[in-house]
Parts: sequence; structure tokens; C-alpha cells
Amino acid sequence: MTGLEGKLHFNQKIQFITLSFDGVIIDTDNNLFSWPKNTSIYDAHPFFEIIKGFLENDAITQNEYSFPCIHIEEDNLERICDVSIKIDLKEIVVLLFDYTQKYNELNQIAQQKNESILKSRELQLKNEYLLEKENFKNNFIANINHEIRTPLTGIIGFTEVLEKTKLSFEQEELVRIIKRESNHLGSLIEDMVDISKIEAGQLNIINERFLFLDIVKGFKETYNRIAEEKGIDFEIIVDPNIQEYIIGDKTRVHQILNNVLNNAFKFTDEGKITFSITKNYQRTNKVSINFKITDTGIGILNKDLDEIFKRFTRVEHAKNRPGTGLGLAIVKNLVDTLHGEIKLISEPDKGSTFSINLPFQFDILKTSIPKIKKKKKYKLPSTKKKFKILLVDDEEVNQYLVMKILINHGSFYVDVAISGEQAINYIEKRFYDLVLMDLKLGVMDGYKATHIIRNHYGDKQIADVPIIGFTAKATEIEREKCLKSGMDDFISKPFEQEDLLQKIAKNIQKKTTV
Amino acid sequence: MKLSKKVVLLGHFGVGKTSLFRRFIDDAFSEDYKVTLGVQIKKKVIQLPSGIELSMVIWDTEGHQEIENTRKSYLLGSHAFIYVFDLTRKDTYINLNADIAYLKQHHPKVHIRIIGNKLDKVSEREIKKELKQESIPFDCLTSAKTNKNVSTFFNELAEELTK
Ligand SMILES: Nc1nc2c(ncn2[C@@H]2O[C@H](COP(=O)(O)OP(=O)(O)O)[C@@H](O)[C@H]2O)c(=O)[nH]1
Ligand SMILES: [Mg+2]
Repeated sequence: MTGLEGKLHFNQKIQFITLSFDGVIIDTDNNLFSWPKNTSIYDAHPFFEIIKGFLENDAITQNEYSFPCIHIEEDNLERICDVSIKIDLKEIVVLLFDYTQKYNELNQIAQQKNESILKSRELQLKNEYLLEKENFKNNFIANINHEIRTPLTGIIGFTEVLEKTKLSFEQEELVRIIKRESNHLGSLIEDMVDISKIEAGQLNIINERFLFLDIVKGFKETYNRIAEEKGIDFEIIVDPNIQEYIIGDKTRVHQILNNVLNNAFKFTDEGKITFSITKNYQRTNKVSINFKITDTGIGILNKDLDEIFKRFTRVEHAKNRPGTGLGLAIVKNLVDTLHGEIKLISEPDKGSTFSINLPFQFDILKTSIPKIKKKKKYKLPSTKKKFKILLVDDEEVNQYLVMKILINHGSFYVDVAISGEQAINYIEKRFYDLVLMDLKLGVMDGYKATHIIRNHYGDKQIADVPIIGFTAKATEIEREKCLKSGMDDFISKPFEQEDLLQKIAKNIQKKTTV
Repeated sequence: MKLSKKVVLLGHFGVGKTSLFRRFIDDAFSEDYKVTLGVQIKKKVIQLPSGIELSMVIWDTEGHQEIENTRKSYLLGSHAFIYVFDLTRKDTYINLNADIAYLKQHHPKVHIRIIGNKLDKVSEREIKKELKQESIPFDCLTSAKTNKNVSTFFNELAEELTK
């Protein structure tokens, strides 16, 4: 027995054990664990096998070992103890100090500290992994772009060639579809390439000086037509205070606005789309311009507002509309790249407003460069979606050509009459917005037919229909003859597509404003 | 013949010492991290092909940032050290060579094994390349999670310890 026994016996937190040299428990107070006397300590817990080692290795000399923080279990009970082992010449004394509570408190601190370190590493790894994947993908897409575009350019090119060959109506329709779909595929690829380039940081900003209104011009033509087709209104309002020439990345600005306009048109089935451009402010050579696109479309739920600029996001009620969902993600990325900002205000079923601020520069000294002679402008009145045109011509090639121009334009319905008689017949039955009259017809020529239309009908809708004559010769005499017979205008063959459209628009416009 | 050998798991915290220990002893694994305080000790009896029964007493220590801070008494009477590092955390193997040298110097008779754990989280090819580049030696790459190479490792160690 050790001298310690008397002092420690009553301390519930300490257990003493005396052992024989072969590990048998000679005596213990069972304060902590109820290991019976005369059993082997080695069977009590594997920790104690350490003692075997001490006995094996060295010649037994007096020695004391202490082990802090040892987990010792008995059945389902675990205590965390500091253990002291004392070997002397007669016996082995083991002391167990139960510090479970103290260690458990420490445990919580260590747990928190270690856990937060492991967590942060975990997050870091995840980010690295995602970044790597993302970069790989973006580079891949940006690089494969060429590989995909080359064959697609071939397809589109040859479709255009095919389009110009002699085709049946059915074939023509099919070619049109191929062309439309290839163009669509092309723009999808462009979108994808753009977004991956932006995200892979490969997009270069190219600033150039350009005529500001050029940006608007293209939109006017494209979207007026779509608006007419969809039966909605489209208005562009430009702040006259904006510099004529500004400096910026024209292509990207165009792309941003085009995507937003596209989006607005896609989601608006009735009402109006307004595109207004105003100057926010200007300082020295910098100007901030606001582009606002307001629609009366299906709108976006509040909860989806943040989602809308993410890639491939199609919010629930937009699911049945065509598109990849890339458009607005590109917009957001491009606006960021150009150091601009974009805001979206929207209400379901009321519509959305995209407000984009973009910074530009301008030359303080240079005001304008000489203008290139502008093409004559034509504009159809916005009162109607489509205009009805009667084409009077007996020549098949001419019919085909005129029809193609007018139908492609998208704003016209075209009827064809092959004689003066037939023309009058049609005009009596249907009201036309304009008549295109060939002068050299069979029995009743163009002059005669015009004369009848002008003079034999009390109905102003018939009598006053604008008539444009087709002549083979562009002479002054020919012109006189046309106007005398009551025609409003004349156009000589061969004509340019733009001239024909411009004359048609001018005369329809004149008529509606009278 | 019955033998008893003491094996100590060493290495930074969180590298998977406890997980390898649990995998080997109870064939269990948990994603939950529970810090080990001090040391827990368990025994597993391994039946070797040679007929020898080896009772492996494994000390799963709390780990250390610096090997010198490992409680000396935990290492007493050891037959083998298993130095575990985490393949996803460079800081757990950056000092490996110095640590091994330290152990060899102070415990010349003890077998030392090096394990890179959490193999399931990395590409084996990439990590081997990297370890080679950094001159990090290892005996075995394991995953306590998927049980890859764990029992093989312990069985080979058992063989080694009976030689
Ligand atoms: N994925 C994976 N996780 C592991 C593996 N080994 C351990 N872990 C996890 O790593 C964390 C730390 O493991 P633990 O065994 O407590 O590490 P110790 O501090 O060295 O004892 C825990 O959340 C474990 O679930 C492994 O092989 N694969
Ligand atoms: Mg542990």
C-alpha cells in the first residue's frame, strides 16, 4: 500500500490501483471504474498495455510516468483522465485523475477552432474547384467558337446562293426556313461565345468615335417591322442634347441595347415599347447616357428580379417563350465590362423597364465631320400593321421580283392582277392602300385603267388610291404622261429595291396625311 | 503465438486519423468532424496468414501542428508511427520531411509509415505528380471515406511488425 491511500481515498475524482508485475489488480478503490480485484488490468482497457512495455524493455527500476488526457471507457461510460503510473521494486501503482469535465470544456474550444479552419479550407477548395471548372469551360467555348462558326458560315452562305437559284415556291419556303434557323443558331453561338469570353476575361473593349444616331437607326428599322407584325407600338425618343459624335464601344453598346430590345419584344404581346435615350450628365469630355426600354409585357416577379441576369435563367412564366436565357446575362456582363449599370423595375402583367447607364467620351474640340450623303429615308405611317398593295403587271419576272421585295419587307400584303380589267375588278372588291401599275398592259393599258379608277367611282377610297406607274423609260415625256393620266408617281425599270420601297412609303404617307 | 504492438497515429488535426482509426476498428465513417482531445486507444486483433495473431493497440492522438509538441508520453513504448497528412491541405504536409527526421532521430527503432488521406477528394494522378514535385514521400494513399487502401495498409503494417 502506498502512503497516498489514506489521503486520496475519499476523493471521488481519483482512483488508485495497485498491480502485481504481471498486471493483476491487487487493490483498488473503484472510485471511477469498477474493475474487480484479481483480474488483469490489460483486460480492463488497452491503454494499460503500455505497462507491459515498460516491464519488458528496461530492467525494473523505480520509475514514474504520467499520461495526460487519456480516454478510458468502461461499458458505455467514458472518462477522460490523467494517468500516473509509478513502478517501484515491490509493486506498480496507477493513479487515475478524472478531468472529464475540464477536458470537455477544452474540447468545445478546440472543436470550434479546428472546425472553422477545416470549414474555411473546404470552402476554399470548393471555390478553387468551381473556378477551375468554370475557366476550363469558358476557355473551351471561347476557343471552339471558330470551329463551329466556320461550317455554319458555309451553311448560311450556300443557303443564300441556293436562294438565288430557280426554286419552286415550296423549295423557296424550305430554303427560307433553313436560312432562318441557321441564322438563329448563329446568334446563339455568338451569345455563348460572348458570354464565355466575357467570363474568361477575353473580351476586349474597342472604343471608337461614331455617329451616335447610328446606334438608333438600325433599331428603328428592325423593330418597327417587328412591332408592326406583332401589332404593338414602338417609339424611340432621343434627347437632342446628346453629342452628335461620341466615343465608346459601338458594337457592344449595340449588342446590349439589341438584347434588351429583343427581350422586350419577346415578352410583349400588346401595348407599347418605348426606347428613350437621355443624357444623364456631362463632365469635361465624359458623358453618361441613360437608355431606358419600357414595355407593357408580361413583367417579372419580384423574387425573380435577381435571377434574371444569370445565365440560362428562364423564370417560370417565361418558359414558353423562345430563347436560351443568355441574352440578359450577356447584357449584365457587358454593362459591367463597360463600367455601366443596369436596373430593372418590373411588375407581373404590367411590364418591365430596363434602365441602363453607360459612360461615353466625346471630343471637346471636333464637333462634326462632313456627312456622307444620306440615303433617302422612307417611313410608313404607324396607323396600320400591314398595307395592301395591288400589283398590276403581266410580266411574270416582274411580278416575282416586286412580290419578293414587298413580302420580304414584311409590311405589305400583295395582290397581283395581270390586266387592267382584272385590276379594276379587284379594286372594286377590296380597298388597297396603293396600286403599282405597269403601263404596258394588253387590252387596257395602265393609263386607261388609271383614268377609269380616278373618274368612274364616287367612293373616295377607290378613286383616290395612290397609284405608281412602272415605266420602261425614265424620260420626262413618260413622266408627264403618267401624272396626266392621274398617277401620283412613277418609277422606271429596272429599279432599286430601296427606291421602290421609298416611293411606296412616300405615297402612302402622303395619302394618310392629306 | 500472440503479439501485442503499439501503433500511434500522428499528424495535423483534421487529416483523418480518427477516421482511419474508426474505419479500421469498426469499419465506420462519419463526415462529421469531432475533435480528438488527448488520445483514445483501441485494440484490434489481426489474424495474419502466417498464423500469428497480432493484437494492434492503436493510439489515436489529437494531432499537432509541430511534432515537438506531441506529448512525449504518448510515444513511449511505440512499435510504429503512422504519420497521416491530408491530400487536400498542403499545410498538413509542408513540414512532413522535418517531422519524419525528428521522429527517426528520437525513436530510431520505431517503424514509420506515411499516409496521404482523403484520396477520394483529389485526382490520384495529379496529387502523385504534385507530391513528387514537392519531394513528399508516402507509403500509401488512402480514403477513410471510401475505405480505399485502409485495411490493406494496416494488414501490411501488421506483417511488417511481426517480422
Ligand atoms: N472525404 C474524406 N473526408 C475525410 C476522410 N477522412 C476524414 N475525413 C473527414 O475529415 C474530417 C477530419 O477527420 P478526423 O478523422 O476527425 O481527423 P483527425 O483530426 O486527424 O482525427 C472529418 O470531417 C472527416 O469526416 C477521407 O478519407 N475522405
Ligand atoms: Mg482525431
